[in-house]
Amino acid sequence: MNKNNYLINLNNSKKPFIIYKSNNGFDLYTDFSKKIILTNKNIENFINQNTKLKSKNKETDIFIGFFGYEILNNLIGVKVKKQKGLKFSKGIFYKPETKVKLPNKLNYKNLEIVKFNKSFKINISKASYKIIFDKFKKKIKSGETYQIKICTKYSNKAQIDALDFFCRLVKTNMAPEAFMIKDKDYSIISCSPENLINKKNNFITTKPIAGTLKKTKKLNKTKALAFFRKNLKETKEHNMIVDMERSDLSKICKVGTVKILRKKIVEEYKDLYHYVSLIGGRLKNNVSSIDIIKAMMPGGSVIGCPKISTLNLLNNQEKENRNIYTGSFGYFKFNGDMRFNIIIRSILNYKDRSEISVASGVVIDSNAKHEFNENYIKGKALMDLYK
Amino acid sequence: MIYIIDHQDSFTHNVVHQFENFDNVVCDNYNQINNDKLNRSNVIVLSPGPGSPKNYPISSSIYKKFKGKKKIIGICLGFQQILYCEKGKIIEQKKIYHGYQSKIKVTSDNSLFKKNRKFNVGRYHSLKLKEPFAAKNFEITMRCAISNTAMAIENNKEKIYGFQFHPESFLTENGNLLIKKILSA
Repeated sequence: MNKNNYLINLNNSKKPFIIYKSNNGFDLYTDFSKKIILTNKNIENFINQNTKLKSKNKETDIFIGFFGYEILNNLIGVKVKKQKGLKFSKGIFYKPETKVKLPNKLNYKNLEIVKFNKSFKINISKASYKIIFDKFKKKIKSGETYQIKICTKYSNKAQIDALDFFCRLVKTNMAPEAFMIKDKDYSIISCSPENLINKKNNFITTKPIAGTLKKTKKLNKTKALAFFRKNLKETKEHNMIVDMERSDLSKICKVGTVKILRKKIVEEYKDLYHYVSLIGGRLKNNVSSIDIIKAMMPGGSVIGCPKISTLNLLNNQEKENRNIYTGSFGYFKFNGDMRFNIIIRSILNYKDRSEISVASGVVIDSNAKHEFNENYIKGKALMDLYK
Repeated sequence: MIYIIDHQDSFTHNVVHQFENFDNVVCDNYNQINNDKLNRSNVIVLSPGPGSPKNYPISSSIYKKFKGKKKIIGICLGFQQILYCEKGKIIEQKKIYHGYQSKIKVTSDNSLFKKNRKFNVGRYHSLKLKEPFAAKNFEITMRCAISNTAMAIENNKEKIYGFQFHPESFLTENGNLLIKKILSA
């Protein structure tokens, strides 16, 4: 049986599975022998236990899954007030027994069973967005935050075939941190471009993105770099993120080892250019998995800066639960290695509803109308899948 | 030992690593101060952080208690904290510098640093010192080369130093050297 048929049969069998982008294709994980639903009570224990498990060398000796935004806040002592929302899980991890390598080209189509309402509804109108934007701008002037990302959410009633959506999404928007989860009562589809943690032995890196440019015929990589360098707003946002990630890594790394490995470079994707830096360091000897998670999550580049006071501002403002958005997906290997992304550019499907959240940054020289539209453009690529 | 008071900033651990190049460092949150360690330290560092000095009364009282007794260094908010305790006014500025690299200049003959030397620094501040400012033994020793905003203060008599910019930022040239000189002063 070829791999593509295997995938199709698996999808038809209704068995839960996860697909995660690998270097030269995708990794498919299934036959889950354990499923851990995270709570504020069990999360620390879960994270610390991973590396104490016996078997270590098999490719399936991992826990793979996601942390939602709220539980990551709670983990670092930041409270989130009661919010409206789908009452979706705070985080779920799975222990797979089967791993299959898949090629980059996934051939699967199912256009029949998409059921949805015509248009997506946004949770914040343009007028209320402007009010929040102006309020946050005042907070920037008074120094309470230096950069803050307002989140808006598009939602719709829909029943979808997650695999079909994922295959179409990666065809047009292949991303290095793309993933999907399909379980019995929910699915997540994401073309996240951003790696938050890549840990191998005692070496750890993070690769923040700050700055995105849509491709046009006139642009090339060199011109995109020139654009980012000349653009003061993008430069300042990016600088802030670099210093913030250096600091987050410094919490857990040895003195003198935290280095900017690639400084402010442009990476080219199918439809976009991203302004990216790669920062890394050598972990201190006594650092545990939970220390690493607490130091790095939630990923700063999608929150703003400084992290704690900005999270508090956001949590006082937001009436609706972010669920998975700006949480983290990835895996813990039993040998202590880990890989995690930042969940953005994603669709959560739960209780026959689809949610797409987007955010863009407020710094002192940004403009409400521009950022509101930017949010729409970010969401549109995902909403177009429903056509 | 250097005791760093963290005002919950996302840059504090860059400061910690920078100072650890020179001595042992203990870093605690501003509302979880370990008095024993604080008392044992030789140098107190007031970290950067969000908001304004009036939000951090504990840091102000630590400054007042140890002024003249230990070396005190303030960075960004910490710089403003020192000025605020010395009756300086901290105000919002028109142009806001978050993630901004700019040129500053040593403007005083009495500085540990050579007069008229210019260098690039990383800045993260929406507030600044209102001038004129005067306090006994304090001198403004560095200024923004363009706007003239106060960028450093030195009190070499009581060993109190402050930087409005961030010596630990990757945007600052020779930040380590700066700290080394202050620590050995």
